[in-house]
Amino acid sequence: MGEILKLGFVLMAVALLAAIALGFVNSRTEPVIREQQRQQRIEAMMQVAGSLSETVPAEEMAYDTLDIGANPYAAVDESLTVARFSGPADGPLGYTFIAYGKGYSSTVQTMVAVDLSGTVTGATILFQQETPGLGAKCEGGWVDQMIDKTAESCSVVKDGGGVESITGATITSRAVSESIRDGLEAMESEGLFGEGGER
Amino acid sequence: MSLAAVFTNGIYRENPVFKLTLGMCPFLAVTTSVENALGMGAASTFVLLCSNFLVSLFRNVIPNKVRIPCYIVIIATFVTLVDMVMNAYVPALHKSLGIFIPLIVVNCIILGRAEGFANKNPVMASLADGLGMGVGFTLAMVLLATFRELLGNGTWLNVNLLGQAFRNQPLLIAILAPGAFILMGFIMGTFNILESRGGER
Repeated sequence: MGEILKLGFVLMAVALLAAIALGFVNSRTEPVIREQQRQQRIEAMMQVAGSLSETVPAEEMAYDTLDIGANPYAAVDESLTVARFSGPADGPLGYTFIAYGKGYSSTVQTMVAVDLSGTVTGATILFQQETPGLGAKCEGGWVDQMIDKTAESCSVVKDGGGVESITGATITSRAVSESIRDGLEAMESEGLFGEGGER
Repeated sequence: MSLAAVFTNGIYRENPVFKLTLGMCPFLAVTTSVENALGMGAASTFVLLCSNFLVSLFRNVIPNKVRIPCYIVIIATFVTLVDMVMNAYVPALHKSLGIFIPLIVVNCIILGRAEGFANKNPVMASLADGLGMGVGFTLAMVLLATFRELLGNGTWLNVNLLGQAFRNQPLLIAILAPGAFILMGFIMGTFNILESRGGER
């Protein structure tokens, strides 16, 4: 009986020390990590927003955010939040949003810029943990293929769209292009494109 | 055994991958590129050093009957610490290694060395063993990753070596999971042949 108590006590002490160390480091690193992620999002947003206009640089644009009722990414985010960018003199230019697509081993997040006609003007991968050497290649130049796609053409060639899949990583390619398409369709149904964009 | 002998032991005579056949899961999973192999090797070596150090330091305090749960707690704590610190202060490295770090917990090389070496040897020897095993593991991964990246992608450390024509039509299987097993088989076979020849002389 005494031995069991002693063993239990040692285990508890080891676990307690580990918990204290982890708790301490976590309390120090968590705010840094969160701030970094926020920073990364803003950086990516400004980067893709630059493609909305040839004349106005992203830094001079102003943006406000809209919550969209229909949310195609209900599984990962509470609502679909779209940032509406406008130039200093020329009214709304377009929108940016984050598309979430379920890939092979992670939920791929893509920051997308789309103009008022519903055509993608820029996209960059925010987060992915796909297979290195295969799906992870979506982070390179591949995602630039999304430029000039609309809801109709934003799917892989195999499915009748205009996006060439990454060799050996059709699941990732589908996840990215279809998640963007879903976002475009949700914004379309909210009347954000065409004349509605001026509202 | 001198410290240098303990160190080189992990690199060749008791190479964790080719001789002890430990740590197969990360060995096969992350060797799709040389860059990943180096990153995973560095992270594993760091955790090996830390866990060997602590296990050796407390080898007379931890009761024999509960040593395995204690080692696991120590290893898992270090891996989580590495993960959090890297995420906060070197986000670029964390981004490219992100998925591999939690994998280190289940790398049996680390538990194997805690159990097989650090709990019966003094601190300095355990550190040398951790470093040697870590370097041996890294070299083994780089070797396999060299073949896989070269055949499957035409590059080595992202440098294009085999020309664009090859890159457009690479031997994709080398990067996919079956290729890892096939190439590992060839490498291990070569090692065994070399060793048996060496024995005859």
